[in-house]
Amino acid sequence: MAAFPINANFEGDFVMQLISVDTDDTMDQVAEKCAYHSVGRRVAAQPEKVMRVRLHNTTENYPRDMTVSDAGWRPTETLDIIFADS
Amino acid sequence: MYQIPREEWYDLTRSTNWTYSYVSEEEMFPEEMSGSRGIPIEAWETYDEPYKVTYPEYVSIQREKDSGAYSVKAALERDAYVDRADPGWISTMIAHYGAIAVNEYAASLAEARMARFSKAPGNRNMATFGTLDENRHGQIQLFFPHANIKRSRQWDWAHKAMHTNDWAAIAARSFFDDIMLSRDAIAVSIMLTFGFETGFTNMQFLGLAADASEAGDHTFASLISSVQTDEARHAQQGGPSLKILIENGQKEEAQKLVDVSIWRAWKLFSVLTGPIMDYYTPLEHRSQSFKEFMVEWIIVQFERQLADLGLDAPWFWEDLTKDLDVTHHGMHLGVWYWRPTVWWNPAAGASPEDREWLEEKYPGWNKTWGKCWDVITENLNNGREDLTLPETLPYVCNMCQLPIVGTPGEGWNVRDYPLEHEGRLYHFGSEADRWCFEQDPERYKEHQNLIDRFLSGQVQPADLPGALAYMNLGPGEMGKDAHDYAWAAAFKKQVSAA
Repeated sequence: MAAFPINANFEGDFVMQLISVDTDDTMDQVAEKCAYHSVGRRVAAQPEKVMRVRLHNTTENYPRDMTVSDAGWRPTETLDIIFADS
Repeated sequence: MYQIPREEWYDLTRSTNWTYSYVSEEEMFPEEMSGSRGIPIEAWETYDEPYKVTYPEYVSIQREKDSGAYSVKAALERDAYVDRADPGWISTMIAHYGAIAVNEYAASLAEARMARFSKAPGNRNMATFGTLDENRHGQIQLFFPHANIKRSRQWDWAHKAMHTNDWAAIAARSFFDDIMLSRDAIAVSIMLTFGFETGFTNMQFLGLAADASEAGDHTFASLISSVQTDEARHAQQGGPSLKILIENGQKEEAQKLVDVSIWRAWKLFSVLTGPIMDYYTPLEHRSQSFKEFMVEWIIVQFERQLADLGLDAPWFWEDLTKDLDVTHHGMHLGVWYWRPTVWWNPAAGASPEDREWLEEKYPGWNKTWGKCWDVITENLNNGREDLTLPETLPYVCNMCQLPIVGTPGEGWNVRDYPLEHEGRLYHFGSEADRWCFEQDPERYKEHQNLIDRFLSGQVQPADLPGALAYMNLGPGEMGKDAHDYAWAAAFKKQVSAA
């Protein structure tokens, strides 16, 4: 396990943020760590939705249990974190 | 005694090129400093500055300007305007001085480069006056805020800011170093005086002078008017350079220099002037919105000037026009949210009345930017100030050094423009920022933005307090809300009244 920096683009927020995740984190954990710096701060919570992670400007979400090390990102990769129904 | 009229001797006396016997032309005017771009010196001798002034005239006019501004300052100091001015206006002045004052000295060096190395005698002559102008601007804009250091250490940032690693200082230095200090004389004449001064200092100085007068701050209004009248003169150095480049088949080069400087100037003004005009200046004193100023001074007037010179509007003109509804709102929200990282106290400008004005000037503001401010307002009114303060860094652009922002809320559209170059991943806040990099990667590729520095271990400890220390922000200097959240409390009153 190791710290890994990402550039997080959270749905509804106005700015990208530097977030430190862990290579062992699942996508759900990545979304949670990003949400900490946006939801309830500048983005209203949407408890009925789940937060999904995908590469910036793409449409396919990563599997929720996929880990950071399996995603093959470059350090500071830009990721969109979006509210989804499932 | 009879004096020969100026027009009869001016051209002769400022024709100061001569035939060198001890050195070659290349030694006299090294290309990397002069930037003649292969155009013969005879062509540069046709440089015709539109504004002609002699040294005695210059000294006499400058003396009048200085005595006017300093008299107003002396008279109004007794009035202690600063003690009763709106805190938003105080923040405007503190932000302005920190971002501008020391850079005026840098501008003096840039003018001196033209005064020494331009092959055009007319350029050298005007730039000699420009060197003196910028020196005066540095001095006056350090002297005026100095009187207020007794009120707050933030005023000291007029001198301190540019000597720190504060993110806003890094952004300002990145821009000014690029267009002023690391270019040849001809590029400086175009990027500094045409691209930046002709368009954008008009915005900062005329717009701000209007707002200052409205706000009753006659000291600041007289100071910046005194500066602006110099700018109006020495900003005319770029036009003749562009004309010579175009006449000698270098329109593409001329256009590129203009386009890069306009884009980079726009980004800096989106964080400095935009928030000041639309959020910090008290509502009742705002003369025009930032967008209205930009449309008048840049989109319409500047485009006309470009056409007159035979240049095209920059390729990103449509993007810039669209950004007038977006970028400065994002910069403002970013500065406010990350307020401990700036040397002034940002005014939120988000009271019910402010928001009504913003919605009128920027239709859709409440559904987009307003959504973020709704959450912030609710947190403040529920005693959760902690949630309105940052715990990480915003991601900043590798060109403008400013946060990568976009439209939030219902119109969510925040985009990164990445580029992998020689194995390094760069992030840019716009297509035009990335384009600037691509025009000259050698110039920019080694620069580390704040995030790069953080990740490479230069910021210790690697957390937000470590970043604040890295930015040299001490107690009493870090920004806080200018109005102590009174604007948010106004919503609470609205709810209880209902």
